[in-house]
Amino acid sequence: MALKNIEKQLNILDYALSSLWRRRAKSFSILLVFAAIIFLLASFQMVTQSLSDKAKQVLAYTPEITLQKMSAGRQEAIPLAYREQLAGIFGIRRVVPRIWGYYFDEVRLANYTVMGMELENMPEGARLDASLANGKMPGPEARGWVFVGHSIKEALNLDERYTFSLFRPDLTLKAFTVSGEFSRDTDILTNDLIVMNLADARDLYGIPAGLVTDFCVYVANPKEIDTIAKKISTALPSVRVLTRPQIQKTYQVVFGWRSGFGSICLLAALAAFVILAWDKASGLSPEERREIAILKVLGWETSDILATRFWESLIVSGLACILGMTAAYIHVVYFAASLFRPVLMGWSVLRPDLHLLPRMAAGDILLILAFTVIPYLAATVIPAWRSATVPADSALGG
Amino acid sequence: MRPSLIFTLFLCLLLAIDGALFVDGLSRRKGEDATLAQLEVVTGALGLTDLAVATEARYTRHPAVSDPVAPFMDHPGAIEHFPTGAFWLPPPR
Repeated sequence: MALKNIEKQLNILDYALSSLWRRRAKSFSILLVFAAIIFLLASFQMVTQSLSDKAKQVLAYTPEITLQKMSAGRQEAIPLAYREQLAGIFGIRRVVPRIWGYYFDEVRLANYTVMGMELENMPEGARLDASLANGKMPGPEARGWVFVGHSIKEALNLDERYTFSLFRPDLTLKAFTVSGEFSRDTDILTNDLIVMNLADARDLYGIPAGLVTDFCVYVANPKEIDTIAKKISTALPSVRVLTRPQIQKTYQVVFGWRSGFGSICLLAALAAFVILAWDKASGLSPEERREIAILKVLGWETSDILATRFWESLIVSGLACILGMTAAYIHVVYFAASLFRPVLMGWSVLRPDLHLLPRMAAGDILLILAFTVIPYLAATVIPAWRSATVPADSALGG
Repeated sequence: MRPSLIFTLFLCLLLAIDGALFVDGLSRRKGEDATLAQLEVVTGALGLTDLAVATEARYTRHPAVSDPVAPFMDHPGAIEHFPTGAFWLPPPR
């Protein structure tokens, strides 16, 4: 009985495939459009998921609390003297001042991120050599050294030489010597970075003594981060307190379907799907009615015709899903999401090599199926039933 | 040859391609895990808060430490005009 049923379904599948092949121009165009929609949705999902994943992994080591001073709704330099007030808060292990900002290179039209800090006071500062492709960390007293990211090296043509200069605000030049280059494996964090001593950063930006950009605060017990953050907010009301969990949360929500580009992907997919569903649901062509009538005259039952339509839809949507998702994976992993790069990186001059590797969990695949294949199958149920219940004589003109 | 058999063979070919991609993905994952230690050192040593993906605007270079209103702060009536602003959502506060 089971064998007979399988044989029957195989015969129906043969018929459905032949039927799709007979209307191959239409079938292939639907398949292509459908696969393109799935490609778009899956690519977006894979890019955002792999970036969020990477952020989750690496930002677990971000400072437990970051403090910035706010004035008139904008960030401004924070006085070093605030450290005395922080010293009175029990549970704070270490407060490290930092000067960082952006440097716009008017020749190359590129934005560099400059970071100045006392590396010897940072938690992993002594091990920073491990992340360098070449060079080594100078002593704490050394001045004028920098570590640069890969794109900085390329932008400033530092292949043959080790020195370069940047302009201070008064347009005098400050010279630097490259002591090391960050490994390309860390590009996603260090691509546009110029790391230097705190005093050099102060000199470069002309920031007065006694002021820095922000404080990195490390606490003795990570479970007390929120409590200590509240105490800091109370003690220093003009200071914005950013905790590690808040920073991690940012990257879990910053890429999402509600962003402009995400919405466009989703809306384009929905619009294309509505057109497809409309085509399916808007009634039968005379040719289709005739085909069904002939099948019924030949003895096919309504359930057989429904099964044929189901197989046709499943073949089209299933194939589109496999093709679309495979193409999306190849696009993201092997072509570094090159179609999205114009939006993901915009007018950025320094662009990191993105090594994206999405973890395709069952939930992600189900999400894409839920948006595409399942609605398509559902949308074909009613037209399939309508087509199966057409009286044979009316379709044949009787 | 039956159409269903041709279709099954085509499906097997697609699944074989996916299988090869999966195996390649596993080896890439091993390589990526090896570089994770370097990324952890950089994050800890420099106190980094953001990924260096988009460098055109400060609020997409450092979304974690920027205000949601930062794109509109340049002057009264300023509009957000950087392309990356379309990809990145404002950070929650």
